[in-house]
Amino acid sequence: MAEMRVLGSSRLMKLALRALILVVLLALIIFGLYYLLSQSYPFRWNLAFNPKNLDAFNEGLLVTLQVSGLAMIGGALLGLLVALARLSPFAILRDMGMLYVQMLRNIPFLVFILFMYFGVSKVFSAGPTVPVPLLDIEIDSRIFWGVIALSLFEASFISEIFRAGIQAVHKTQIEAARSLGMSYVQSMQHVVLPQAFRMIIPPLTGELIALVKESALLMVISLEELTLTARQLVQQTPLNFEFYAILAAYYLAITLPLSFVSHLLERKLAIGKAR
Amino acid sequence: MIAVQDVHKWFGLLHVLKGIDLEIAQGEVLVLIGASGSGKSTLLRCINGLEKIQHGKIVVDEMDIHKSRTNLNKVRQEIGIVFQSFNLFPHMTVMKNITIGPTKVKRISPQESKEIAVQLLKRIGIPEKADFYPDQLSGGQQQRVAIARALAMKPKVMLFDEPTSALDPEMISEVLDLMRELASEKMTMVVVTHEMGFAREAANRIAFMADGQIAEIAPAEEFFKNPKDERTRRFIEKVLAV
Amino acid sequence: MIRFEKRSKSYLFAHYLWIVFRVLVAGAVLFGAIYLVFLGLGSNYTFHWEEAIQFLPFFNQGLLVTLQIAILGAILAVFLGIAVALLRLSPWGVVRDLAGAYVHTFRNLPFLVVLLLFFFGLGKAIKILPFEFLGQTYRPQFIWGVLALGVYESSYLGETFRAGIESVHKAQVEAARSLGMKYFQVLRYVVLPQAFRVILPPLTGTLIALIKESSLLYLISVQELTEAARQLAIPSRPYFFEFYTILACYYLAMVVPLSLLSNWLESRLGISRASKKVKDHG
Repeated sequence: MAEMRVLGSSRLMKLALRALILVVLLALIIFGLYYLLSQSYPFRWNLAFNPKNLDAFNEGLLVTLQVSGLAMIGGALLGLLVALARLSPFAILRDMGMLYVQMLRNIPFLVFILFMYFGVSKVFSAGPTVPVPLLDIEIDSRIFWGVIALSLFEASFISEIFRAGIQAVHKTQIEAARSLGMSYVQSMQHVVLPQAFRMIIPPLTGELIALVKESALLMVISLEELTLTARQLVQQTPLNFEFYAILAAYYLAITLPLSFVSHLLERKLAIGKAR
Repeated sequence: MIAVQDVHKWFGLLHVLKGIDLEIAQGEVLVLIGASGSGKSTLLRCINGLEKIQHGKIVVDEMDIHKSRTNLNKVRQEIGIVFQSFNLFPHMTVMKNITIGPTKVKRISPQESKEIAVQLLKRIGIPEKADFYPDQLSGGQQQRVAIARALAMKPKVMLFDEPTSALDPEMISEVLDLMRELASEKMTMVVVTHEMGFAREAANRIAFMADGQIAEIAPAEEFFKNPKDERTRRFIEKVLAV
Repeated sequence: MIRFEKRSKSYLFAHYLWIVFRVLVAGAVLFGAIYLVFLGLGSNYTFHWEEAIQFLPFFNQGLLVTLQIAILGAILAVFLGIAVALLRLSPWGVVRDLAGAYVHTFRNLPFLVVLLLFFFGLGKAIKILPFEFLGQTYRPQFIWGVLALGVYESSYLGETFRAGIESVHKAQVEAARSLGMKYFQVLRYVVLPQAFRVILPPLTGTLIALIKESSLLYLISVQELTEAARQLAIPSRPYFFEFYTILACYYLAMVVPLSLLSNWLESRLGISRASKKVKDHG
């Protein structure tokens, strides 16, 4: 035990040193590039970091997080349904699931959001708000269609993750469950899904990252999330580089921690099945 | 109890069962032996409907297994199966592994299924392992839990698919002892195994399979003393010589 | 008995035909259901397919630009990706870390943000002049778009190449080194040919992603496929649904063949390596 701790601390020192060198080098490179650029472009960070601008960014961040969160829930639920359809004993359900996944995976999300918001919503002749039955509230139609489009689109990717996770549970487990007389639904519920869960979590976090990134495209339906906020700020004061750099920093602040968590989970859940 | 009539099965283009006929009486222990790939495991899996057949008929306890109207889930409650690789549910404790069938399939109350499980655990000699997870047990213990899991459904027939092949040699006897005990209690059993000692002592009849057919079927004593089929004779010479 | 002997090659062919039929039926059911939902919920919308289809030549012009962007972007991404992969595998920790920072930064940003940063940010500091090539004028938007696309996708390709190279067993490198080969000789003659089969399927996947991402270039007003549809969809031609459906079909027509190719390569290259199984009599 003591030995391990000594070993661990020297490893930690090495890691810290490496991180330090990396930070210094990155700083040098970034500063060099910055200096070169500043020869032809006057940077005005003090204007960009006006508290009013940052408030606008924070509001945009809130919208991005809301939309991503809702779409993740919707996408996961729908994705599970599609995955179960693709693994069902009925050929027609399998084929329909396959068509759904292939259609949506193979068009750009941008095209899909344009199609949904300017095409499909017109078919439903939607006004500026969409009424929600039962709850008796009206939702901004940009948020409504944005979340619907993101959910439908992500469901095609998430369903593949679920499918891979379920298929990774060995076939013999299903046989063992069925031979006890469990029905298809029971063996899924009690035996397969609980085991698939741990294999699904890391790639699902990865998909959440993709979803946050995809949500940037919702600016094309003038939903005021992070990216549109930045564009609007640029139109008010032409601080292109500054605002877009801040925008990038905001996205990295969401996605990098998620990326790290995904990596951690992958390692943690991969270590054997023992708890 | 079990009637198999002219059963044929194909895997794609591969003809694996070529007209099997078999009758197994209630309380009988039948041991299936044969070289690997002779179709004996496939036959066993067909008997509880894990594999479909393309021709013929399998009737267990007056229920036609491969008729589309048959409720397979119902039939399978009557037929327990024990696999070579145990196939315990790794995310459940030993107790949960045994009680999941009775509670979820037979809808027996949790307390009652727990009592059944406690009895079974005592019987297989590891009552203290109830709250362990399968990967904390030895192979022999896992296989005994798998047998208990099947027994908890109170089946009328037990199928064993090479139950000792994946075990370390020192653990084989603990599983075989349990199976012998079951046989002495007049459980109807079909056992695929390479354990000739077990076959000789516990089996009422022994069937030798070769190339997708039953080459010879005879009472245990006679099977070993004077085999009639040439292939059986060679097989027995080989396994007894080792 | 005779009926079972028919499980032969012709039986399998009939089986494949059956699968095709099944998929067609499933498609009909799926789209029929969607259409019924439309009828039920949006009964006052009339479709104008005939008018919309007259604009196909306009779409085709956009398609040509999209293909150019995709091909140029892919070439750039492959070269940058190889460079990044080699840096990520370099013997010096610092170089590995720098390349890692590059990869993680771009992978964790939306492509849209990279595009905006490149065109509106860098584009303000570094001026690119429009130029003419083969009778066509290329505007700075096009150049910045291709640059952004190439750089962004190179962060994904870099990881693909690295995984491919790392999949070649260490012993292979040692064997080559023991023959006296130099670093680049080892790469060229031993590692890369073996890594290729691992790399090829995800490489096609990246190409697919690249085609899809290229649609964003309309935001910096590059005249590509999506921009074509956007320009058509104006209030005086209110058949947006039709235009965007056609747009989706164009992308599907480009991407689905690639997607099938990727699947085929995966199964094909996988088979040649792993499953030369000896056929066992059941």
